Amino acid sequence: MPASNLSFIVAAYAVTWVVLLGYLFRLVRKGARARAEYEHAVQERAGGTR
Amino acid sequence: MPAPPRTSMWLGIGSFGAVIAAQTYAILTSPAEGDMGHLQKIMYVHVPAAWMTFLSFFVVLVFSVLYLWRRRENDDLLAASAAEVGATFNGLTLLLGMIWGRPAWGVWWVWDARLTSTLVLFLIFVGYLSLRAFVDDAQQRARWSAAVGAIGALNVPIVYMSVKWWRTLHQPPSSPETLDPAYTMGLRLNAIALLLVLIYFIRKRYEIARLERAVEHAAEAAAMGGR
Amino acid sequence: MAWRDDWRRVRAIVRKDVTTELRAKAGFNSVASLGVTILILLGLALGPDAEALRNAAVGAVWLAMLFSGVLAFNRSFQVELEGGALEPLLLYPGPRWTIFAGKLVGNMMFLTMMVAIVAAVGVVLFGVQIPYDWPKLLGVFALGIIGMVVLGTFYASMASRSRAREVLLPLLLFPMLVPVLLAATTASRAILGADLMHEAGAWIKLLAAYDLVFLIATFIAFEHVIEA
Repeated sequence: MPASNLSFIVAAYAVTWVVLLGYLFRLVRKGARARAEYEHAVQERAGGTR
Repeated sequence: MPAPPRTSMWLGIGSFGAVIAAQTYAILTSPAEGDMGHLQKIMYVHVPAAWMTFLSFFVVLVFSVLYLWRRRENDDLLAASAAEVGATFNGLTLLLGMIWGRPAWGVWWVWDARLTSTLVLFLIFVGYLSLRAFVDDAQQRARWSAAVGAIGALNVPIVYMSVKWWRTLHQPPSSPETLDPAYTMGLRLNAIALLLVLIYFIRKRYEIARLERAVEHAAEAAAMGGR
Repeated sequence: MAWRDDWRRVRAIVRKDVTTELRAKAGFNSVASLGVTILILLGLALGPDAEALRNAAVGAVWLAMLFSGVLAFNRSFQVELEGGALEPLLLYPGPRWTIFAGKLVGNMMFLTMMVAIVAAVGVVLFGVQIPYDWPKLLGVFALGIIGMVVLGTFYASMASRSRAREVLLPLLLFPMLVPVLLAATTASRAILGADLMHEAGAWIKLLAAYDLVFLIATFIAFEHVIEA
């Protein structure tokens, strides 16, 4: 039945976008945090009196 | 320690845009088919996701072997990044396979060759990532994951073959997923678009891995009373 | 001659492990008991219909072997770990593959003895009828055990030294053993059922190829894995 299939087609594309965007946001957040920690560590080594 | 290069934001925007464009094209141009209606449209996301999964695994294999050969840390980080991205596409492939299967076969799961071997592959990915999570020493982690990654990848074709035999000897073949030629163009476009997303994801994940490793290095140096 | 020294090393490791095992007493007995216990639980969970049990027999025996096997594999490296003896072992002159070979032989002996017990109990509990060509069945079991031992020993060499060895070894090992499980169970079932379609031969070839491929691959990989 094409009509009931529609919900599955929609679900498939929805799941695809949820996963792709979800992973994208995870990477962006992780990236920001990693970069911040990196800058911090670089500053510590450069500026800190060790 | 030199900063790892930033992953281009434009690559991200461009690749996602390409996916939108490819999906739109495919949905609008593909004809309805028999009693399945438009169900085959799911193939535009399911098949490329599967291809990206296998491609990721191939990258894991190549860089695992490279790491064992020349012991460059970046090779290990790239393999690990490809594994995480690959696991994500693997999960997506499984979900989409199930969503297609429910109306096509009437059930959420069948032990058919492709679905089952994709599931086993997913477990191999998960094992690889778990190993990395449970080993603290960076060099040991790199060596061990490279060995596990290479040996795991070696098993992928064997798993697929054995599951296929297991199925064909006992059940009639499941509904063939051969695609109408009318679908080929749309499929190719979606595959290329998703490939761009894959490249973006792996590069971004790799950038993060290198940043984290650099921070780890700094901490190690500080702990040893470094300069 | 280098070969003879290497084999002497392998034998030494096997002898050391067997002696430790015999002294420990609790080792083999408890792991074998666990295998039998799992078999009993499977019988309880899948029975009591005799027909259902007979169909489940092959799967039950192999699963019992798999689940108790992981314990054997982790234990094969435990002895060195607890005594801190892994580092001295590595410092001894000689190629590393001899360590792997020694552990392989030890585990093969362990699992062979185990499967004899578990399979015998399985035949009784699940009402299996021994087929006419039972030597073929022995071949299937031998090849299956080899596959389990090769990969089990390899992954245990890492998992046993990691933070979460109880979960990590099964997590790594079981997906890899899927071809062994499929081949061994399908071939066993075919042989038990008079193999009308002559399936068993193809699966036996697959098992043999699998064993060979991973025997070589793990020997190569072990060098990289065993460094302290």
